[in-house]
Amino acid sequence: MVSNFSILFQKEWRENVRNFKILWIPLVFLLFGITEPLTNYYLPQILNAVGNMPEGTVFPFPEFTPEQIVMSTVSQYQFIGMLVITLGFAGIISRERKNGTATFLYVRPISYTSYVYSKLSIMCILVVGSVILGLLANLYYTNVLFGAVDVGAFVGFLGTYIVWLLFVVSIVLFTSAAFSTAIASIISLALVLFVQFIDALLGAYWTISPWKIPMYAGYVLNGSVDKKPFIWSLIITLLAIVLLIFGAVYFAKRNISKTKI
Amino acid sequence: MDFESIPWMLILPLVVIQFILMLVAIIDLIRVSNTNGPKWLWALIIVLGNLIGPIIYFIIGRRNE
Amino acid sequence: MKTLLHMQDLTKEYGKEKAVDSLTFSLLKNTSTALIGPNGAGKTTTLSMLAGLLKQSAGTIVFDGEITEDIQKVIGFLPQYPKFYSWLTALEFTEMAAKLSGVDAKIAKQEAEKTLEFVGLGDAKNKKTGTFSGGMKQRLGLAQAIVHKPSLLLLDEPVSALDPIGRREIMNLLKELQTTTTILYSTHILNDAEEMTDQLVFLRKGKLVEQGSMQEVREKYANPMYKIYFISTEEAAKFVEISPWPARQEDSIAFIHIEEEKPVMNEVLHVLAESHLSLLKVERATASLEEIFLQVVNNGE
Repeated sequence: MVSNFSILFQKEWRENVRNFKILWIPLVFLLFGITEPLTNYYLPQILNAVGNMPEGTVFPFPEFTPEQIVMSTVSQYQFIGMLVITLGFAGIISRERKNGTATFLYVRPISYTSYVYSKLSIMCILVVGSVILGLLANLYYTNVLFGAVDVGAFVGFLGTYIVWLLFVVSIVLFTSAAFSTAIASIISLALVLFVQFIDALLGAYWTISPWKIPMYAGYVLNGSVDKKPFIWSLIITLLAIVLLIFGAVYFAKRNISKTKI
Repeated sequence: MDFESIPWMLILPLVVIQFILMLVAIIDLIRVSNTNGPKWLWALIIVLGNLIGPIIYFIIGRRNE
Repeated sequence: MKTLLHMQDLTKEYGKEKAVDSLTFSLLKNTSTALIGPNGAGKTTTLSMLAGLLKQSAGTIVFDGEITEDIQKVIGFLPQYPKFYSWLTALEFTEMAAKLSGVDAKIAKQEAEKTLEFVGLGDAKNKKTGTFSGGMKQRLGLAQAIVHKPSLLLLDEPVSALDPIGRREIMNLLKELQTTTTILYSTHILNDAEEMTDQLVFLRKGKLVEQGSMQEVREKYANPMYKIYFISTEEAAKFVEISPWPARQEDSIAFIHIEEEKPVMNEVLHVLAESHLSLLKVERATASLEEIFLQVVNNGE
């Protein structure tokens, strides 16, 4: 069978254009990318304006470095952004299996690798594209308000953070291929948010972990990254991504029989 | 902070993006046939929910067929 | 005539339950076969296995002389309740279906338009499927199943959700397709099968219980009988008890089958007169299709 990737991708593209995901997901990341530097910069004035401070009160606000502002944006992405991604895409395969629309695909001689890749591609475009857009806007605002960020370091940071995003995307894709939408949401949230929290809490005991990638991205930005655990974490994460995608193809095919007819 | 010193050129994009996001959510709300919960409630959440309102609508309110 | 598809001992188990149990039958090229049985007889399961949506637990499918598990290239499938991507137009959907089934991308759109015209959706081709009524969805379902000119068409209850007019229209379309396509469809309404079906396959609890042409089944089951109408169900029951001939009962009607012109009506009337039961009417009749259906699928109960 000739590859039907382009046909399946066109379907995904049309869906995400027509349900406005192509608009609202980038807008959300843009919004947080801009808000973070703005609020941090104007926080003293805002507090002065809303609070009835006695004349001459001065808060000892810490001086933020530009890198700190970029990283505090990333920590917004790490919570609200990840919530949007996991909940927004948890049904990407399971939903069309559950509501029966996928029957028309599954009775045809499609390649399940192409099928999963079409989903993977649309997710990557939306997620990675939105984050890049948001972080570039963030970079501009940070530049204006807090000072310049080293471009080379920023590119390294962005590349590293994209690896984390691919990890998240493949987790969501895998769980959606393997489970129902509800279970996929719960497992994705647990793997992305909860494990991240655990890693932050107890993670001092180990240095190699996919959940440390966002932190290492921050170190890359500061130019203070310890190469060895960083490289190993990257390798482990890339390996996990490959396995998750293979797993997604396997389960997408295996779960054909669970399609509602 | 006086009016002159407000950096409108920096704040304007924020306002515009938020407005577009709200607009997209409202257009979508009008177009879809079903939402999880009453439509008027979602309209309120989108308009009054500030930055988060439209996001909550797209994630929870929208029923994907 | 040439055999297009043969299934041998096709079985689907769910734990200990057998949804389909050692099903064996053939489809001849360009003929139509109806799978008939009550709900839960295994019709949908059988069609799903042929469509590649379910894997059989045992048995083989031979297509055009070759044992194969992958006949998806040459089939079209219409599920009982077709569900569409509501954000695609009928034309976009049918074109996608054509391309995924291997129709050349250059002519896919053209083929999709022709097919939509054929099923009567020519005017609605640019409407989103989310706005379609039940009848339109059934037509679109048929369009996606035939757009790539499959040699085998599998239809799960294609007309049972439709009103009488829609039913007639879809049946006419199927009749037209029958000249070039082999059709296997399921139904629980035997009347639907009457006009266009070459072969009837009756299923009960996953097993084949009867098979043959409409003519053969009629001859076998539509024996003449006496229908004796009583004033009440109790009276009918009393008669079944005292009847010297094997009799069965449905509500207030008792049935006696006539074999080789026996018993004759006089004998029956005599017994009835002796019984002092409250009789309404006695008539000689042949079984309707509905009665044949009940008789066949209840056989051996």
